[in-house]
Amino acid sequence: MNIIEIKDLSFSYQDEIDALSNVTLSVKKGEWVSILGHNGSGKSTLSKLIIGLLKADSGEIKVDGVILNEESVHDIRRKIGIVFQNPDNQFVGVTVEDDIAFGMENLCFEQSDIIDKIKEYAEKVSMSEYLKKEPHALSGGQKQRVAIAGILAMKTDIIIFDEATSMLDPKGRESIMNYIKEINKAGVTVITITHDMKEAVLSDRIIILKEGRVIACGDTNDILNDKETLNSSNLELLLPLKLQYLLDEANLSNDKVKDILWQLSLNK
Amino acid sequence: MAIKFEQVNFEYPSFDGYNFSALKDINLEIAEKGEFITLIGETGSGKSTLVQHMNALIRPTTGSVTIYGIKIEKDTKKKGKVKLNPLRQRVGLVFQFPEYQLFEETVLKDIIFGPKNFGVKESVAIERAKQVIKHVGLDEEYLKRSPFNLSGGEKKRVSIAGILAMEPDILVLDEPTSGLDPKGRDDLLKLFMGIHNDLNKTVIIITHDMNTVYKYASRVLVMNEGHLVYDGLPQELFSKENIKSWNLDIPDIITITRQLEDKLDVNFDRQPHTIQDLFELVKEVI
Repeated sequence: MNIIEIKDLSFSYQDEIDALSNVTLSVKKGEWVSILGHNGSGKSTLSKLIIGLLKADSGEIKVDGVILNEESVHDIRRKIGIVFQNPDNQFVGVTVEDDIAFGMENLCFEQSDIIDKIKEYAEKVSMSEYLKKEPHALSGGQKQRVAIAGILAMKTDIIIFDEATSMLDPKGRESIMNYIKEINKAGVTVITITHDMKEAVLSDRIIILKEGRVIACGDTNDILNDKETLNSSNLELLLPLKLQYLLDEANLSNDKVKDILWQLSLNK
Repeated sequence: MAIKFEQVNFEYPSFDGYNFSALKDINLEIAEKGEFITLIGETGSGKSTLVQHMNALIRPTTGSVTIYGIKIEKDTKKKGKVKLNPLRQRVGLVFQFPEYQLFEETVLKDIIFGPKNFGVKESVAIERAKQVIKHVGLDEEYLKRSPFNLSGGEKKRVSIAGILAMEPDILVLDEPTSGLDPKGRDDLLKLFMGIHNDLNKTVIIITHDMNTVYKYASRVLVMNEGHLVYDGLPQELFSKENIKSWNLDIPDIITITRQLEDKLDVNFDRQPHTIQDLFELVKEVI
């Protein structure tokens, strides 16, 4: 069952060329999909359209069977959480516990329920010891974990990670990727928006955007096999793939090496 | 030596009396010319605190930093004898997200703000703006535009132009490529390389990207829990055992080389620097 269905979606910022043109795609319930593209490919615009922060010029977005419009936007936002790129721009609370509570307060949860849930979800992201801390005492990775706790507490069906790891150090990045895996295993539909192919190969499916258009969409294995599309995508290719292409061109590849490079590409 | 750290300790004060020690016994020398240095280490390891000492934005709690012959110590400013402005002109510091600091009506006004502050005549500053806008890869026509209508990458370039217009001898950049895609990152790094090569300036870059370190740096500094734990060549750094305990990544090219050696059960006689190098090595063994 598709939890998100997008048909012929187009959007342009004032007077400029289309940021997105005729985008059609779908996301299945419980799936982990990566939207991959370079800066300016339209991937963040797409995420803002899905949560109704921007209004499409034409086309249709359906979330869980409901068409996104002015009446439905509030209900739809209850189903989708989003973690943005810059940890400092989304920390709204004075302390960690305030920040986790923010989303629940907006959804009018009972006060006693909120207090229990803060504890429960802070523990899930290993931030229990930091509940009274202010944001300046946290690293970027810790702030992103607090954002995740706040969203998990709202029990949304879908979580979008919009380049949520691109400003973190290696340790922070790894911890966030591990939480994403866990969240998806627990049944939440995950959309990761990234320009990093190393992250994208971890997901079930990859959608590649270039200049506002979908240029590829398929299972991760199939996408990695699609040399032509990858070469035209302006993305930085994984090194094992680059090496495979060099060997192919020189007619030097054999099955053993090919298999090894394939496993390395998939981060296994 | 342009900058010399001698036994520098720095503590951030705190209200509860437990001061946070951000730098511990740092000894370090930076040359005025010819260095392309990357400064790495996990979040909170002291990288930003270290570079803020390089133009006396903050002063050591104990020890001293000598910048172009002027010794900066804890009470330097209180004595009132030392003028810090000339130092800040010679060591240009670009903060993380410099694009947030643009504020003027036009790009030109933004670029000449710094030099004018340091006493440069407006006509001279305008001439400089025309030069530096080209150095950062933008057309002179940009000078008339409003900084607020530029893309993120363009804003970053304008803010770097503003620092270059002060004609610093040393350029220090705090995570200039954070959040950029590979192309944006490489474009900026090529720009810094150009400044380093053409204008013969020392450039210091804070980064988390080990591929950048491996590809560009002539020298790498590693901070860990306030200590300077490594100062040397990038090639040697990544063969060190401690690298895991410093929470640093390994450059992709080294990772894949090791994995291939393991799976193909071979030992390459050298560490390849690029994918083309690795291809040459693999060619010999299959």
